[in-house]
Amino acid sequence: MTQFHIDRRRLLAGSAALAAAAALPRVAFAQGAPIRIATLTPLTGSGGPYGPVMAKTVKAVVDEVNAAGGVLGRKIELISEDDQTNPEAGVRAARKLIDVDKVSAILGTWASSVTTAVAPLCWESKTFLCTTSGADSITQLPHQGFLIRTQPNTTLQGQKFGEFALAEKAKKVFFLSPQTPFAKSQFDNITAAVKAGGGETASLIYDDKKPAYRTEVDEVMRFKPDAIVFGGYTPDTSVMLKDLYRAGFGGTKVAFGYSVNQKLVESVPAEVVDKTYTISPSPAEGSKAYERLVKLIGVASPDPYTTQIYDHINLVLMAIAMAGDASGTAIKDNVRKISQAPGGTKIDNAIDGLKAIAAKQPVDYDGASGPCDFTDTGDIKDCKFRYEQVQGGKITLVKIA
Amino acid sequence: MTQLLQALINGVMAGTLIAVPAIGFSAIFAVLRFPNFAIASYATIGAFAAWWANTALALPILPSVLVAFALTGIVGVVAEEASLKRLRGNGALIVAIASIALNLVLENIVRFFFGNEMRGYDLPIARDIRFWDLRIGPQQLQSLGFAVAIMAAVFLFLRYTRFGKAMRAVADNPDLARLKGIDPARIAIATIFLGAGLSGVGGVLIGLDTTIDPLTGYRVLLSVFAAAVLGGLGSIPGAVIGALSLGIAEELALLVAPASYRTGVGFIAILLMLTFRPRGILGERAA
Repeated sequence: MTQFHIDRRRLLAGSAALAAAAALPRVAFAQGAPIRIATLTPLTGSGGPYGPVMAKTVKAVVDEVNAAGGVLGRKIELISEDDQTNPEAGVRAARKLIDVDKVSAILGTWASSVTTAVAPLCWESKTFLCTTSGADSITQLPHQGFLIRTQPNTTLQGQKFGEFALAEKAKKVFFLSPQTPFAKSQFDNITAAVKAGGGETASLIYDDKKPAYRTEVDEVMRFKPDAIVFGGYTPDTSVMLKDLYRAGFGGTKVAFGYSVNQKLVESVPAEVVDKTYTISPSPAEGSKAYERLVKLIGVASPDPYTTQIYDHINLVLMAIAMAGDASGTAIKDNVRKISQAPGGTKIDNAIDGLKAIAAKQPVDYDGASGPCDFTDTGDIKDCKFRYEQVQGGKITLVKIA
Repeated sequence: MTQLLQALINGVMAGTLIAVPAIGFSAIFAVLRFPNFAIASYATIGAFAAWWANTALALPILPSVLVAFALTGIVGVVAEEASLKRLRGNGALIVAIASIALNLVLENIVRFFFGNEMRGYDLPIARDIRFWDLRIGPQQLQSLGFAVAIMAAVFLFLRYTRFGKAMRAVADNPDLARLKGIDPARIAIATIFLGAGLSGVGGVLIGLDTTIDPLTGYRVLLSVFAAAVLGGLGSIPGAVIGALSLGIAEELALLVAPASYRTGVGFIAILLMLTFRPRGILGERAA
């Protein structure tokens, strides 16, 4: 057996070498080092049905761009973490991404509670954050520009829910939701829309971890609502729908498209969910970017979050190229130059975008989720909504408006 | 008054669902002297096993419950022998922490095979039966029937069979039991089988009422733990009483407090119980 022996001279030499290495300017290492980008999506928890596809989509884009030579002559290295649809786990994962992996941008935080918790870490460390969360409060945070979102905020969404309930001739609208960062603003905006049409509203905030909601449903039924708006996620909404069916509720039901999805429809008896309407921000179906995404990931109708994160990665890569620098600050300062340059070349994917940027052309990215034009606070300027209804076990399109 | 009665009915229904896994939890604590938090994943595994039997094998619910019991019992014994057993000598706290880790591992194994999606049993859904201004669900009544039958079976097993008596003897005084020729290792295995199996059945009962996903068991873990603490850790009748009290307390609380504080009732129950009567309603020893 050989023995490894460290004498004082070797130790000194080694330490000196280490110290010298540490003292080298960072640039010397950065030359040709990969650009690190992270996804932080819900691989488990309520967002579990969406996160894995979202992470896969980003990987597909990154692979494509790497195969075409990367960005600024550097490879893109993708790190994917799981936020467990849980703010505490999200913060732990974000800390790791920022402190250990030193990523330039984090893409795809989904639940508003997670985004609200992760955002301060990002702007303090000058890491760029792209999110699909809808709570109004998120873009009102002092994020100094280090945040953009592709999901319409809840002011807009609440208004659409209220107007839709009125259009369905509902006068008494009940809002039923677990505690989320958007529950209050959602309810306030439904109320504003319904009151404007002469109706009235009430709400109940429930605990989303319970196996039955019978007593809660009794309280809902005492209000005698014509329409119920569901603000929850898939697991709790399925329980709530069942308990409302048992209690004999026969009015209009309206829910978010992400909670009453095909999975929910398949997992509960058909009569429980039949005739339920869903409203969701509509991806730009039929757009070039959307078609390209369908081909890239091989999913016939990608969900809205997948289309949004596809836009996130394209935007971030092009902003890095535009800046000639991969830092979070560079992305922040350049993202609007490629998302909405006035008179810019219309671009629908990063590879074409990178070529146009190399040719010094102005760029205006139109994505798979929508036009991707951002206000100064990071909200999208425009978005369509998709109205669907569950009919005989199938989710059927009613209209896009 | 109607509201109060309705809340009481709902509370008894909710309580019986929690009671079955709480018995499992308490039985394991009585014999092995550690809180086994892996019962959350056992409940999930039971729910998925019954779902598989119900949808893939097209079995009716009762045989599916038996499949769930047997399968979860076996998973429990294997997991115990493979991981927790060798830690038992290091004190209850270490095993309890390891059981949390075990829970994570098992939950993710379920996720690996079945994914994150929700699933529902192949069962018709019925409107509630109404009488006097009250309502009650036929499915809930059926689950109540299952739960009561299971509890009765467990009581009879513990009271009249040799194995049941041996389990109670080990719970009471392990050294004395060993002197009488009872093999504690065999009793431990039987207890784990019973405890895990009952948790599995509890998972099925919860799933019948709702839908199932890999977090089914985890969502009720706090309630199960609170019920067991409330009734007195290690006491099986205590677990039932604790579960019923907790169920009723949670529903009654809804009449006076916002619904979002419902989980808080469980924490407050644990806090009050540990402060004023640490041995629980029926527990013999002070913890």
